[in-house]
Amino acid sequence: MTLKQFIKRIFLIEIMQGMALTLKMMFTHAVTRQFPEERRDPIPGFRGRHAFVRDSKTGKEKCIMCMKCSTVCPSQCIYISKQKREEDGKFYLAQFDIEALRCIFCGYCVEVCPVCALVLTEEFEYSAYTKEEIYFTREKLLANWDEFAAKQKVETYFNKFWRPEGLDTSKMTKFKREQGPVLLKPGAATPEAAQVPAEKETA
Amino acid sequence: MQSEKEITTKYLTLNMGPQHPATHGVLRLVLDLDGETVVKCTPHIGYLHRGMEKWSESRTYPTAMPLMNRLDYVAAVANEIGYCVAVERLLGVEVPERAKYIRTMTAEMVRICSHIIWLAAHAIDIGAMTVFLYSMRDRETLLDLFEMLCGARLLHIYPRIGGVRCDVSQEFLDGVYKFTDKFPKLIEEYETLIDQNRIWFQRTKGIGVIGAEEAINLGLTGPTLRGSGVAYDIRKVSPYDAYDKVEFDVPVGKNCDVYDRYRCRMDEFRQSNRIIRQCVEKLPDGLVLNPDAPGLDMLPGPIKKAAPVPAPEADAVPVMSPAGPAFTEIYSATEVPKGELGYYIVSDGTGKPYRMRIRTPSFMHISALPRFCEGNLVADVIALIGTIDIVLGECDR
Ligand code: SF4
Ligand code: SF4
Repeated sequence: MTLKQFIKRIFLIEIMQGMALTLKMMFTHAVTRQFPEERRDPIPGFRGRHAFVRDSKTGKEKCIMCMKCSTVCPSQCIYISKQKREEDGKFYLAQFDIEALRCIFCGYCVEVCPVCALVLTEEFEYSAYTKEEIYFTREKLLANWDEFAAKQKVETYFNKFWRPEGLDTSKMTKFKREQGPVLLKPGAATPEAAQVPAEKETA
Repeated sequence: MQSEKEITTKYLTLNMGPQHPATHGVLRLVLDLDGETVVKCTPHIGYLHRGMEKWSESRTYPTAMPLMNRLDYVAAVANEIGYCVAVERLLGVEVPERAKYIRTMTAEMVRICSHIIWLAAHAIDIGAMTVFLYSMRDRETLLDLFEMLCGARLLHIYPRIGGVRCDVSQEFLDGVYKFTDKFPKLIEEYETLIDQNRIWFQRTKGIGVIGAEEAINLGLTGPTLRGSGVAYDIRKVSPYDAYDKVEFDVPVGKNCDVYDRYRCRMDEFRQSNRIIRQCVEKLPDGLVLNPDAPGLDMLPGPIKKAAPVPAPEADAVPVMSPAGPAFTEIYSATEVPKGELGYYIVSDGTGKPYRMRIRTPSFMHISALPRFCEGNLVADVIALIGTIDIVLGECDR
């Protein structure tokens, strides 16, 4: 044992260094967030609760019943049913349910939707006491959007998974390519937000 | 008076886990003890079995991807990249340069996350509480960056077959660069606490010594193997993504004990930091997803265009079968934080895998655990579970 080692051993040098560090840390600011009182804004693009974008023109959802989202959903938790209307023979969306308890929040449904009808909002606190509350029917999905929109401070909203950056857009649908920010508050419609998908008219 | 020889003793069987906090998940060890010495150690696994391999056979390649991050959930992106690399090699899909760099960067970020969790758990198991707190603080920075990148903190679902899902923002790159600036100082902080600490020395030095040859025979990989003095790293021996375009060293241990494995991982922190920095600096422009790659809505039926002809650099072997579709098989390995993660996929030319088998490092490491434990004290079992760095989600799949 050299003298240096001996001194280290006797005077607990390395332990003292560690203690000095912890002592220093006592005088730095705390990094812990006191959650319910102290909140952080979710970062844009966070994948949270689902919602149907409420079209500012029609006041309804934009879904064209293409079934892409339910096909691609990895946990198969989207149930869609389309039915033929007696009077004019056109199809309408009879049921659109998302079972959020089984959802893994991958955002695939948002990405494949050709008309950007679905969105995973930045809302993440929606725990409930019953299963039914987290079983999103079509009305609930629209209500989720309203609730989300009401909380936002800005006028328009664009989800980054509608048209991810850095991808080749030539294979996307025209609607997706031209999708701009949507209006959060009903009222004066901007030209890009007021588009109605052309495919919607097909019988 | 009885002499000591006349007293009959018998082994005590002790159940460690599955709810033991130091077993890093639901691992059950049945220990036969002679006094405080472990005579026999039998690991019991399977508490977290979710049937991933079978389940992925019923999903198309892109939709099976979100499942892969459930393997090693503390390093989700690394597992997804491993899967994507395997499928790309199988289907012969090219990845754009920019995507390669982004993938390398995220894989290294997640390596830091995973090693931080390992360090925190390892230290708290041995008794150093402060390291746990400090390292969790720094992991938070990375998780925030991941949230900015892809909207999720833990289960990212970020890569796609043929690239990544979305481009990185300038804000993200700035954040990452800032992190790499300050991270070396933070590593020093952890080291100040335990690196020379005499208690840490006593708990780790000379414990769990496994020589190089035996380590290879046991199937150890990753830092667990490198701590035993074998410089084997898939990122070096068969580079994927952008690992052949960045500079980094492979830290290797000398004494093959728990302390050297700890040193190895601490050095990997610095190497990962170096890789991330280089990736940010060299990041080329361009698309991040190959437009010809199978999209999310890939059909489960036979793949039409350009059938699964593997790229020449991939070592896929076509297997002849008497009738039916042309089978192709591939084994593709990537270096995840825990070791070598291999995907063995048999394809029958459709959009679904015919059979998929996942070679996970944790499974191999747990099978080596009896060798590590036998002859050591009970208290060392905790240190030994820490040193092989296991995640049970990956082991049981
Ligand atoms: S986020 Fe993923 S799992 Fe959830 S509904 Fe959409 S596609 Fe399905
Ligand atoms: S992908 Fe979009 S348009 Fe198609 S069914 Fe789903 S929500 Fe409706």
